[in-house]
Amino acid sequence: MTETEEKRISDKISKENVSNELIKIFGGENVSQRVVDLYPYSYDMTECEAKMPDFVVLPENNQQLVELVKFCNSNSIPIVPYITGNNVGGLTIPQQGGIIVDFSKKMNRILHINEDMMYALLEPGVTFGQLKKRLDDNYPNLRYSYPYAPPYAGVVGNAILSGMNNLSCKIGSMGDSINGLEVITANGEIARIGSCFYGKEEADVDSWWCRYPMPDLMGLFVNWQGMTGLVTKCAVQLWPNPAYKKTFLALVFGLKDVASVIREVGKTDVIDDISAVSTEVVKMTVEIPEPKKVPGEPDFAALFPISGKTKKLLDAKSEIVEAKFEELKKKGKNIIIADVDEFAKIFNLRVRCHLDLPAVLLSLVEYSGLTWFGSYAPIHKLEELIEQVNIIFQKHKVPAFIYMKIMKSGHYGIFRPIIRFNKYKDGEEERIHHLLEEITDFCISKGCIPYKTPTWMTAKLRKKINPGWLNLFEKIKQCMDPNHIFNPGRWNT
Amino acid sequence: MTEIEISDEIMGKKFIELAFDHCIKCSTCKYSYKEFMMSCPSGEKHLFESFWASGRIRTTRGLILGELEWNDDIKDVIFACPTCGACMDACQAPHADYIVDIIESLREVAVKEIGPAKNQEKLIERATNPEMWNPYGEPNSNNNDLKEEYNLPDKAEWVYFIGCTSNYRQKSLRDATLRFLKKANIDFTLIDEHCCTSPMLRTGQVEKCKEFMQYNIEKIEETGASKVITSCAGCYRTLKKDFKKFGIEFDFEVLHTAELINDLINENKIEFKSDFKKKVTYHDPCHLGRHMNIYEIPRAIYRSIPGLELVEMERNKNHSWCCGAGGGVKIGYPEWSLEISEKRLREARETEAVILSSTCPFCKTNLNDANEKFNFGFEVLDLIEIIDGLEYKVKN
Repeated sequence: MTETEEKRISDKISKENVSNELIKIFGGENVSQRVVDLYPYSYDMTECEAKMPDFVVLPENNQQLVELVKFCNSNSIPIVPYITGNNVGGLTIPQQGGIIVDFSKKMNRILHINEDMMYALLEPGVTFGQLKKRLDDNYPNLRYSYPYAPPYAGVVGNAILSGMNNLSCKIGSMGDSINGLEVITANGEIARIGSCFYGKEEADVDSWWCRYPMPDLMGLFVNWQGMTGLVTKCAVQLWPNPAYKKTFLALVFGLKDVASVIREVGKTDVIDDISAVSTEVVKMTVEIPEPKKVPGEPDFAALFPISGKTKKLLDAKSEIVEAKFEELKKKGKNIIIADVDEFAKIFNLRVRCHLDLPAVLLSLVEYSGLTWFGSYAPIHKLEELIEQVNIIFQKHKVPAFIYMKIMKSGHYGIFRPIIRFNKYKDGEEERIHHLLEEITDFCISKGCIPYKTPTWMTAKLRKKINPGWLNLFEKIKQCMDPNHIFNPGRWNT
Repeated sequence: MTEIEISDEIMGKKFIELAFDHCIKCSTCKYSYKEFMMSCPSGEKHLFESFWASGRIRTTRGLILGELEWNDDIKDVIFACPTCGACMDACQAPHADYIVDIIESLREVAVKEIGPAKNQEKLIERATNPEMWNPYGEPNSNNNDLKEEYNLPDKAEWVYFIGCTSNYRQKSLRDATLRFLKKANIDFTLIDEHCCTSPMLRTGQVEKCKEFMQYNIEKIEETGASKVITSCAGCYRTLKKDFKKFGIEFDFEVLHTAELINDLINENKIEFKSDFKKKVTYHDPCHLGRHMNIYEIPRAIYRSIPGLELVEMERNKNHSWCCGAGGGVKIGYPEWSLEISEKRLREARETEAVILSSTCPFCKTNLNDANEKFNFGFEVLDLIEIIDGLEYKVKN
């Protein structure tokens, strides 16, 4: 339940004066404190506790945001950045109230696409669908990498929170794809990070081409969940869009066998992306809402997209992958390989949503609630993780929904048990939370590191983390945000 | 099903329950799916999350759960939406087809709690006035004059359900339809019709709907007709889709004029003797397109007219931008209603068409109002009016 009763926003200034100042900065039509307007920002798809903001503002430019940050810093008023609220971790739920800065409505411009150096310079509100359309219409030789997120999730949010994408086996985490950032820090200064750091004035749009080799200040903002400053521009890498593409679908029998299959195929170093999901998820995708496991069925389905600039290159990659599958079969792995395009035609075209990203995956939007334990995982532990998490799912009578990725050919992986639920069924949130908590405890014990973390999860993490890391983290947070205005409460700060 | 308690008196109870069972606010409803274009007039105007479909679903939840209070602050969130259905088309979740139903059901509850949006009460005051029976406040036309003028029988195979907008605001469209039906030798008649209930349904003022529906059914049945035809996308949607929601059963078939014309063309029964050498762009009425999935039939007709060059606006068919008149917006938010139309007219201008055409008198009204207000210089014509201006022969 969302608590909608009014409370003090600051000890230093009245709410009325805050309102007046916000209206002065943003204009009346871009500020709201009507409860009905605040309400949708008070909670998200997860079971995380709902909390009301005091205001929502729609910024248009940096000048407004500089004034906002200075004002909030003087009066210790929380600022919570918001793009589309699609994260699965309660990241934009205002833990301590304050001002929601909704970037998605007016700061959503694609500022520049550099075709030669292959990057896009974006405002925070740009969505995957928007970027996809721009590239398809104007730069068909370039592609971005898209996650299994709705088309209207934010590109910048995904990048600065190290989200997933469909080139993960090749490029790794999206956090690695950032060329540069523009941020507003607590004193209202605008800092540019990356090759765009030259110059006293506004950076040239063609100067956002690289992140290194200066001291990497990007780390002060990437993965910090908006706790150290407001990101106002972000340059992300684009990739050549090869003419020839193909996706292998592997149906893998044997619960744990999928782990070695995806690890081994990842090492072939010719795969764009590897994602494996429980068979139940495939059934969800083809509109079976509460799938049951049938004996004799494969346990996992895995997708292996490959691409090539020429047909010859694609064929060569195919040959390598097929040889690997044969080798795995000879080693006793029970795998059925199919061309996913043909599979979709025969069984259900909805399967195509996994291929034609950005798209909506029915399995993720079917209910009123969705939550997960999304983690970076040591891939040598995947077998244990799959086995035990499957048992936990069964114990709680929830269909297993495990999603895994192999990142950067196998340097690390993603292990993400996902839970769909009805937020408004009595006791369901609590039931699901218990399940998730059990999964979380087990996965953390195996070394998994959750990302886009809700506060209850970071509370668990803090008990396990090396004290030196925590002290350094706290010192940096204090230094970057002395008055605790930037998304306070995240990571239990 | 959810365990949320909703009064059985609410007609849209099952749709409100759907609001609790689905929607994670993924934002897919905000833009046209896979085309990634702006599609929601309400969200694009007001911008805060509360004004998009997912926000309205949240508001529904908040109000039913008692987390939000019923007060005048929430009126715009509930009523400032033309219910064009762009959100339904974009959404990929199981509740997609029912988003407009959810919004209309929320309006039904809102009317009980805080009353309708400004001026929307006039729709029901006028429509329930025994001197009027229409939302325009015009003296009721029992259509006897028209029956006489067109020499129409009391009993016939077809009933032409004129609809209030055609009968009281767009008479040339009505007359064009009458002439077409006569020329096509359709055995038809008219009834002393009352409002089809579309304006009531769209604005949550549903109390009298069943009465009106039953009345119109009785009148149609008195004629012995097996088919009802209308030129109004709003009446068409209401007769074909909404009557069933109220448990009103009937045996006759409901057609839009475009469907009849298309059938005649397909049967080679219409022979055009003159041409129409103009560039035309077609505006899909929401109530015919997204609400009833009719996109190709009108286009096939335009293409069959000699000389007519049909050009598409950037957003067309299921991705069309709404004209801004529906959902009670024309009367509740008149200035904004024209702003929405103005955006459509800008898009039409990009096509270099000289005629902006549609298949709905209410779209025609609003597009024409904006055309005049913003001096676009289009000729706004309904499809049936274009046909009426041609020489043609209908073979039996």
